[in-house]
Amino acid sequence: MNAVTLPLPAANRASGESLWRKAARKFGRDRLGMLALGIVLAYFIVALGAWLGWWAGGWADLTGTKWEPVSSGHWFGTNIIGQDIFDRAIFSTATAFEVGLSVALAATLIGTVVGAYAGFFVGSWSDEFLLWCMGVLDAIPFYLFVAAVAYALTDNPWAMQVAMIATFWVGTARLIRGEVIKLRGMEYVEAAHSIGVPELAIIFRHIVPNTGHIVLVQASITFVSAIKAEVILSFLGLGIKDGMSWGLMIDESTKEVLAGFYNNFLAASLLMFGLVMAFNAVADALQDALDPRKVG
Amino acid sequence: MEILQYSLRKLLAGLPLIFGVTLVSFALMVYFGPDMTYQLLGKNPTPDQILEVRHQLGYDQPFLQRYLGFLREIVTFDFGVASTGEPVTTLLAKTIPVSLILILPGFILGHVVGLLLALAAAYWRGTWLDKLIMAVAVIGMSVSFLIVIIGFQIVLSSSDGLDLFPVRGWNASSLGSYLSYVTVPTLATMFVALGYDTRFYRSVIVEEMTRDHVRTARAFGLPESRILLRNILKNCLIPFITRIMFSIPQVAIGGALLIESYFGIPGIGKATYEAIVTGDQPVLKAVVSLTAILFVLVVVLNDILYRVVDPRVTLK
Repeated sequence: MNAVTLPLPAANRASGESLWRKAARKFGRDRLGMLALGIVLAYFIVALGAWLGWWAGGWADLTGTKWEPVSSGHWFGTNIIGQDIFDRAIFSTATAFEVGLSVALAATLIGTVVGAYAGFFVGSWSDEFLLWCMGVLDAIPFYLFVAAVAYALTDNPWAMQVAMIATFWVGTARLIRGEVIKLRGMEYVEAAHSIGVPELAIIFRHIVPNTGHIVLVQASITFVSAIKAEVILSFLGLGIKDGMSWGLMIDESTKEVLAGFYNNFLAASLLMFGLVMAFNAVADALQDALDPRKVG
Repeated sequence: MEILQYSLRKLLAGLPLIFGVTLVSFALMVYFGPDMTYQLLGKNPTPDQILEVRHQLGYDQPFLQRYLGFLREIVTFDFGVASTGEPVTTLLAKTIPVSLILILPGFILGHVVGLLLALAAAYWRGTWLDKLIMAVAVIGMSVSFLIVIIGFQIVLSSSDGLDLFPVRGWNASSLGSYLSYVTVPTLATMFVALGYDTRFYRSVIVEEMTRDHVRTARAFGLPESRILLRNILKNCLIPFITRIMFSIPQVAIGGALLIESYFGIPGIGKATYEAIVTGDQPVLKAVVSLTAILFVLVVVLNDILYRVVDPRVTLK
């Protein structure tokens, strides 16, 4: 960086808190937001433990008989073939994070890069082309797209994630594009231009960091969408192929609830509800904390 | 006249979109899709039979020719025969009305009730009522659609619950049986839609309520109801219309697919799901094309409605 640092006037420096620090302070004071963040972290530790094999390793083992009630050996009872529902639900938490994190990271990254590029070169043919791509992806029915990607990838276990990434980036890209169109007319962009900063550096070093608040909120919304989509896709037989997930548990439970056995259904749906609810609350709190119009 | 011209121009502008949707889905679904040859053949086919079937399915033709054939099918609206032996157009004509009467009540009620709740929450902003409505909305947003469906089914239809409605299936031969089958799907759709819609409507209304012209109207002593209808709601119409219009394609395909396959209702969603599972390409091609066309129609209609509610919008 060849920027000259000017000493700030003292009065300005006192209130010259950075956007991020201010947001962190606002978030820290949002009690509901902090509670939700704590819940998400607790879920994450549960998921981490399942990955590292600390617990829930026996999710596929037959450890009991059919539909055992809740007991000290089986905290949530057992399913139709005698597998421990608690282990399965815990293991599924790891699957949910796997799906949510991979889709949220990849989709937000693609969405940010594409959206920033299209927004900076708004009106050019590349912008038109990218907009056309987004329109096309929006117009293809989601379930059909997932099935089509699964066909094309010949039942690759990542087909569902690929399909989600391929469609979920569009929302982020549209928002970032709109924001970048606003930002590209700002003085600091003009200043960067005038001292000869290359265009790509202007986009990704100077403009994109200023869309961070949108990126962060979008990433958390995408995470939630991915978890919710996984449940429905797995139920439809288009989702997780090997392994265990809340969607597969709920799919399993549809035969059980009509017979009056609810443990599987309740375990999966309540655990999922808790995570999604907490994440939604985090996204809301983030949005409030990052919104400069809200004084805090 | 102006509107007609504009719509035609917009429809033409929608062609690249239809072209893109069909190209992508054709490439993924048909060209790289599953090879159906051996499913149509009996055991121990001869090489000649294999060639024959591959020719029937068009596998021996180059990509471009097959894609152009697909476009011809769309233009002539003749998608050939489904794997059940039924012409695809007959299948569509049979299933689409079922989906329409299944989805419409939930769609309309969801938006109406969402709007009313949002109005109440915005009007009594900051009170316990607002907080209650918003808390319920976040719950609605956080529960998976699938869980809502199963939950409502347990509570309303199962013998462990209230046992008021049929567990699954469909019969619309009389109004009474139609109502008994449509209630649970409608309630489930509404519950999920309410979460997102109420929050959206509320944020738009609150934004509009705090504007200066509303304060001015109030200072002039206009009656509250008039301010609400003429000064607030009228100005919210554009975001509302966008929201409602763009939820149409999503509901028509996504919502119908899950509800119909879960409840075993013979609509277009279930037909699509079965076509996905069995790889019935004529049906899939028809559904993809119809959705793309629906999408373009929605975009055009959306712009025309903008013009209707806001005369400042010019159709160019």
